[in-house]
Amino acid sequence: MWPGDADLDEPVSCEVVAQTVGARRSLVVRLAHQGLIETVEGGTDEPLVPRRVVVQLRRMQRLRRDLGVNFAGAAVILDLVGRIEQLNRELAEIRRGRR
Amino acid sequence: MAAKIKDYYELLGVKRGASDDDIKKSYRALARKFHPDLNPGDKSAEEQFKQVQEAYDVLSNAEDRKLYDEYGDNWRAVKAGAGPPPPGWEGPTGQRSTRGARAGGFDFNDFDFGSFRTSGEGGFDIFEELFRGAGRGRGQRSDRGRDVEAELELSLEEAHQGGRRTLQMQSGKTIDVNIPAGVRDGSTVRLAGQGGAGSNGSEAGDLYLHIRLRPHPVFRVNGDDLEVELPIAPWEAVLGAKVEAPTIDGRVEVTVPAGAKSEQRLRLRGQGLNKRNGGRGDEYVRLKIVVPTDVSAEERRLFEELKRVSRFQPRS
Repeated sequence: MWPGDADLDEPVSCEVVAQTVGARRSLVVRLAHQGLIETVEGGTDEPLVPRRVVVQLRRMQRLRRDLGVNFAGAAVILDLVGRIEQLNRELAEIRRGRR
Repeated sequence: MAAKIKDYYELLGVKRGASDDDIKKSYRALARKFHPDLNPGDKSAEEQFKQVQEAYDVLSNAEDRKLYDEYGDNWRAVKAGAGPPPPGWEGPTGQRSTRGARAGGFDFNDFDFGSFRTSGEGGFDIFEELFRGAGRGRGQRSDRGRDVEAELELSLEEAHQGGRRTLQMQSGKTIDVNIPAGVRDGSTVRLAGQGGAGSNGSEAGDLYLHIRLRPHPVFRVNGDDLEVELPIAPWEAVLGAKVEAPTIDGRVEVTVPAGAKSEQRLRLRGQGLNKRNGGRGDEYVRLKIVVPTDVSAEERRLFEELKRVSRFQPRS
């Protein structure tokens, strides 16, 4: 554990995430309900999200602002970029193994 | 010496009289190509995007664009009230100004991107700074400091064993970071309150470190497991042998079973990477049978003898 730091798995409210990224709480709730950001079981009416969603949401905001894509598109883009990164890592490992 | 600023129109690939729509269209196309969120870890793309972003910020603002068109590199100084540059001062495309004095200009050296340092090996590159007003969107209800994202490159050994790193911020402030054993490539950690300073007594933002692992010359990483290639001699493969194999913690003795095949994998249980929450992965030793290329007369005689007596048919 990183001393003094909250774990990024820590469940937090949509309000906390909204304040951190400068968005409206209703937007974070909507994205959670639509499955565009990760949620965790919390037993409350409003979904809880892991703290790492802050990073994801900020990237979605940047893609929306800079590229003009909507949040659903941004979620797909980030998912695909993550997969490409993973494939690139595996490809690099395979290439290194062949040398 | 200050780097010469590139022409904003050239950067966006548009003519000087381009419409706002054309400028936006070109910006979007270039942003799709170079956006750091679409090119994670690509420093070249990051630099390109930084320049494109700067150009678009200026050319998409009617007032700034007008000043840039008239004063070129010196437009910021003019905007700041320093007055126009002296007669003969060169504009962005070589045109010479006929206006008054210049008091400092603007170039990319005014920014301080990627200047973080660490005390250990590996890089620590900040990239959040190139995003305009990141995390400060509409609805921000406080003066909380800006969250900062950065990449921290670690060796496989550092990720496995953990350790301590001293990171130097652009402000000169240093942060001691304990790297826990078991971090992985692509994982993100948050350092609360280590981002940008807040204003009006508000709390500081957070620092998000995205972990990147440098490729290892010996080990291939597969989740918590490690794989290593181990060359063995043909007679070791046939007869079996005890040989040394590298692990992340040092060399260990491995038993090669008699009749081992090339590409056969031997599992060393619990010799992989430390996991974040305890326990370890495994190491897989992949055998590779190699043959001597420079044989002595005696070796050659023995191989000839083996050829004569062996009933082995590799292609049957």
